[in-house]
Amino acid sequence: MVKLAEMPAVGRKFISELEMPEFEQQAWVDALPPAQRRVSIVSTAAVSRRGEKPFSWLAKDYRAINKNDRDLVMTHVAVEYDRTAWQQDLNTILPFERLEEMASAGEFGSVADEHYAFMGAADPRDMEKSALEVAARMKQDNVNTVFLIPV
Amino acid sequence: MLAQYFESQGFSTVLVGFVREHMEALTPPRALWLDFPMGRPLGKPGDPDYQKRIIRSAFDLLDASSGPQLEDFNDTIAVQDGRMGYALPVDLVVSKDEIGDVDSLLVEVQEEIAGLACDYESACIARGRTTVGASEVALADLAPYIAVFVKGEKPSSPRKGVPPIPLLKLVVEDLTAYYTETRTHRDSIDDIELLGKWFWEETKAGQLILWLEAVSLESDDRVLRQIVDMSLITPRFWSEGPLPGTSASAW
Repeated sequence: MVKLAEMPAVGRKFISELEMPEFEQQAWVDALPPAQRRVSIVSTAAVSRRGEKPFSWLAKDYRAINKNDRDLVMTHVAVEYDRTAWQQDLNTILPFERLEEMASAGEFGSVADEHYAFMGAADPRDMEKSALEVAARMKQDNVNTVFLIPV
Repeated sequence: MLAQYFESQGFSTVLVGFVREHMEALTPPRALWLDFPMGRPLGKPGDPDYQKRIIRSAFDLLDASSGPQLEDFNDTIAVQDGRMGYALPVDLVVSKDEIGDVDSLLVEVQEEIAGLACDYESACIARGRTTVGASEVALADLAPYIAVFVKGEKPSSPRKGVPPIPLLKLVVEDLTAYYTETRTHRDSIDDIELLGKWFWEETKAGQLILWLEAVSLESDDRVLRQIVDMSLITPRFWSEGPLPGTSASAW
């Protein structure tokens, strides 16, 4: 098990000094039964469709990705994480094919048409406006369940 | 924190994550901790069963009647010495006065790129996609664009809306992706340490970027200095020490 204290010096210092936001109230929304769940992914991998504007280094905005999009590029500011897995298989960061297979097998209801990417190195407190925009789009798509996937 | 925003709007959320201490502190409603290298939250490329195991473990948390729920995924993808990605050796640093003839190295890089072209094309066909191209700079122009910076010059950006230095970062990442996409396909390897060591310590392209790092550290351009100091060009984030010759003040 990799604990923060065991990480090498540079990364450990950076990660351990990140400010943790505090919440006045613990969020909790009961999940619907599996068959009624419509799932959308929110990724922080800063992926977008080829040709779209790259994410800036402190991006607060987001990109929408259709579940059938495959021609994606990554413009995340950080390079400390592995990029070779997603180069080989998109499902390692955006598991569209896995979710479709599981929904088809009846493990949950359906996969949303749209999914969303943020740039995870930015301060999430600056992303609230964008997150609320995404939430409104999800409601239009009848999404009720969000699968958050960082890199 | 994103989970909090979505729950506040009436969605049930579940997340996966890599830093357990942060997940304990933030107490998201439902979270699955992954003892994996960062960058591969669904674990293993080309392994649908493993990927589904992770999703099922996460989605099982949606059945809980109260929270917060924090569970550990029941498998580990080992990392080396606690580092969650490849890191250049601390002593592998080029100083500016060690830099040789840039044009000669550029010729070697272009030859190296050409030598990988057939396998890169095979990789693209096999996968039906490539991640190369975030910069929108043509493959043949990637190394020359970097070389201009190594010579101490700052070119104008060929891409509207993206300034020269942000474009430089994307160019470096495109060049790296070209190499690693090729190698993972050609040799069927999925080993971040091996791939990192090969690219950064053995290829001419890696050498060119290390020369870029050396020049950038002594550049008059604050942004160029800063992105190198913050390990945003070369992979030193998981190093045991800051880049020699820098204050690491950016951290």
